[in-house]
Amino acid sequence: MNSNKKFKLMISGVIAVVIFWISWVSSNPADEKAMATFVSVDELIKDKTNRRTKLGGLVKDGSIVISETNYLDCTFILKEGETELGVKYDRTRPDLFKDGAEVIVTGHYLNGTFYADELQTKCASRYEGDLRDETSYNLNEIDT
Amino acid sequence: MTPIAGSVALNLAFGFSILTVITLIFYTQTKDQRLVLTGQRLALGVSFFVFLATFILSYQLLIGNFDVDYVARYTSIETPTIYKISALWAGQSGSLLFWLFILSIYTTIVILQNQRKHNRLMPWVIITLAIIQMFFLVLTNFVVNPFSPTEADFIVANGNGLNPLLQNITMAIHPPTLYLGYVGFSVPFGFAISALMNRDTSPLWIQSIRRWTLVAWLFLSMGIILGGWWAYQELGWGGYWAWDPVENASFMPWLTATAFIHSIIIQEKKDMLRVWNMVLIIITFTLCIFGTFLTRSGVMSSVHSFTASSLGPIFLTFVFFILVASFGLMYTRLNDLRSPRKMESFTSRESGFLFNNMVFVVLCFSVFWGTLFPVISEAVRGTKITVGPPFFNQINIPIGLILLALTGIGPLLAWRKTGRKSLIRNFTFPILTGLITMIILLILGYTGNVVISFSLCAFVTATVLTEFVRGIRARTNKFNESIFTALIRMVSKNRSRYGGYVVHLGIVFMFIGFTGHAFDKEKEFSLKVGEKNHVAGYEFELTQLSESERLNHYAWISDLRVTNSEGEFVTNLHPEKRIYFHNNPDINRRQPHSELDIYTTMNKDIYSIFSAVDNENGVAFIKIMVNPLVRWVWVGGYILVFGTVVAMWPRKDQQWI
Amino acid sequence: MDIIRDYSLVLIFFILPIIFILQPLFLPYFEAPDDVADIPSLRRKKLLLYRQINELEMEFDIGNINEEDFQSGRNELKQEVSEIIALLMAK
Repeated sequence: MNSNKKFKLMISGVIAVVIFWISWVSSNPADEKAMATFVSVDELIKDKTNRRTKLGGLVKDGSIVISETNYLDCTFILKEGETELGVKYDRTRPDLFKDGAEVIVTGHYLNGTFYADELQTKCASRYEGDLRDETSYNLNEIDT
Repeated sequence: MTPIAGSVALNLAFGFSILTVITLIFYTQTKDQRLVLTGQRLALGVSFFVFLATFILSYQLLIGNFDVDYVARYTSIETPTIYKISALWAGQSGSLLFWLFILSIYTTIVILQNQRKHNRLMPWVIITLAIIQMFFLVLTNFVVNPFSPTEADFIVANGNGLNPLLQNITMAIHPPTLYLGYVGFSVPFGFAISALMNRDTSPLWIQSIRRWTLVAWLFLSMGIILGGWWAYQELGWGGYWAWDPVENASFMPWLTATAFIHSIIIQEKKDMLRVWNMVLIIITFTLCIFGTFLTRSGVMSSVHSFTASSLGPIFLTFVFFILVASFGLMYTRLNDLRSPRKMESFTSRESGFLFNNMVFVVLCFSVFWGTLFPVISEAVRGTKITVGPPFFNQINIPIGLILLALTGIGPLLAWRKTGRKSLIRNFTFPILTGLITMIILLILGYTGNVVISFSLCAFVTATVLTEFVRGIRARTNKFNESIFTALIRMVSKNRSRYGGYVVHLGIVFMFIGFTGHAFDKEKEFSLKVGEKNHVAGYEFELTQLSESERLNHYAWISDLRVTNSEGEFVTNLHPEKRIYFHNNPDINRRQPHSELDIYTTMNKDIYSIFSAVDNENGVAFIKIMVNPLVRWVWVGGYILVFGTVVAMWPRKDQQWI
Repeated sequence: MDIIRDYSLVLIFFILPIIFILQPLFLPYFEAPDDVADIPSLRRKKLLLYRQINELEMEFDIGNINEEDFQSGRNELKQEVSEIIALLMAK
């Protein structure tokens, strides 16, 4: 076998190994947190899957309850459309987490409650918003 | 200057860029040299008008002319001056103009530098650069114009202001640095296209883009490292790399560019891998454009991106155009690119470089796969699956470790074929070093990737040392120089080579830092004044909780006394909880922010975040992370920069070839 | 005053660049010097070859290349250099 052929064989071997490796990890990730499926709250309640899932929705007004004994523990109700789901979360809450905030939670569904270990808030559109909505504009300044 | 002038300047730049392309293409048909001069000057004109437009936008930002929509969106009266300037690249349209601005600087330099060089190559280099400029001019003129006025039926008295997260000096430097890198690859790409057009296969043009590539690579590396540093200092999740799509977008061209830097050495010295180099530079440039697209179009949701806009399809079309045009052109030139030489042996320097290249590309592909996995899975299976850092880590850690091993093996191989004797001679010391490190670590009870990584780090360090020693020994034997003189002369005569080894050392430092991640500890807890908690052998006592009103925010300041397991005082940490725009009557418009505090040593960082405050009960919510070896990453970054600067420092006898 | 200002701005930012750009078109016709054989390019090539010879010698001193390859490689490079020097002398 000449060297050129050997190299070609070697290169194809490497490529095969890589394709195998990537597809293997993609189908069986070692860490449970490697992947999460995005579903709607409706689907989740219907399927009752215990796979790791991601949900998006709004925090129902007045639903945030912070535990008296541990300030980190909290529960709230996530609303997506008309569907509501109780969420339990026991880590540091992001700054923008509050009533009406748009949030994405990641975790598991178990017996009617969603146990989240990640909570992301979507930025209130302060920095990309419509300027017209800004009540903060100091209109007095124009008058004077 | 009115904003209208800015718009006009952009219009003119667009017109001139079209004229540049037409004139120069006309030249390639007629060979009338006067057209080249005119074409060059037209290209300079494009750059001139872009400079003008950038200057006008900066000026509008500085004076706070809120009639311009962009100014109103990204600055306010209270914004400090430096961040008024950095607002130039904080938003979508501004950052596209800024991209163009940097491209115009580079174009100007290339034209001025090569007035009497590369007569045959330059016209097509300029055409390529002008087409790239034209693309960004289309965007800034017709899609997202940075000078478009605020809607006419109301008056803006004060702008939105810049996001407090972006009000950080690193954040003012990070995007321009990254852009200098991204845009820098346009120049080697331009030369590559031109070489293809001219069927020029001499190594001369490779020589000429080498330093350009290094400059771009340096900026890209610095941009990536600064981004990590910023995330670590500001974002408060205790890490510097999250495999965020936008981070990946800058990492992918970095990988292929690194491969390119290595493989052009082979083309220079051995005239091999011509096709491969073309492929690499085309992919690198395309990934730069693709990276800008991911960052600026909002396709992927991430910390970086802006709201979705019409930019997406236009960018994708351009990416598609680059790929088809470049690879199509390359296909027609395959016969010219066929190299006269072939690889001969696996144990040769050439094959070492080849494998290093393959691994870089593989790594790039796996990052690409992970980044687009959600999109792919949605298209194929209909379910939207997001992938997190563990996924990337699992795929990439083994590949990264192979790469680290090759960093050590490559330089020890001889050209063409390494004989058995020299194999044994060269590898004995590094392999022994690696093995001893491994045994010690195993005895100490470490396992898995940590052992492999640290042993490989020791191996590579030993390689770099061996290389220096071998070089010095050769000189002292031949010229009878002292060790010190030999070192200085050796490095200054072979800057790219030894600079490159220093970069390898920087990479080793970074890998040590990455490996430290395996030992991270974190804990969240709440404290009242006087209470204590423990994390990783350290005790944290909240001694005081104070409040303060500052220029543009309100702050709660915690005072954490840190002692170690022996009860000795370590440091005081003062993480803060801040509310920006605290005077804003609309509560929803106030922006909370956690300003963290870090105690850092080479050994470990103690990272503290004041995540929330309960005013009524005087409770502070604190998150503590103990992250070992993080500083090694930053030190590795400095070494990398130093090594690259050594490698590209011009020699006296030949300026920029 | 405003009119003067406006006209001068137009002159500086528009008319002057146009003149600068069009000026070469009024030069007499000329052709590009040959890129491959002009003196600066030859000098650059010579410099590059010298540098390659130096690097080759260093690789040999360190032991990264065997005697036979070194000799043939160096002879090739020297051959190229002498060709270029001959060209330079002829000019």
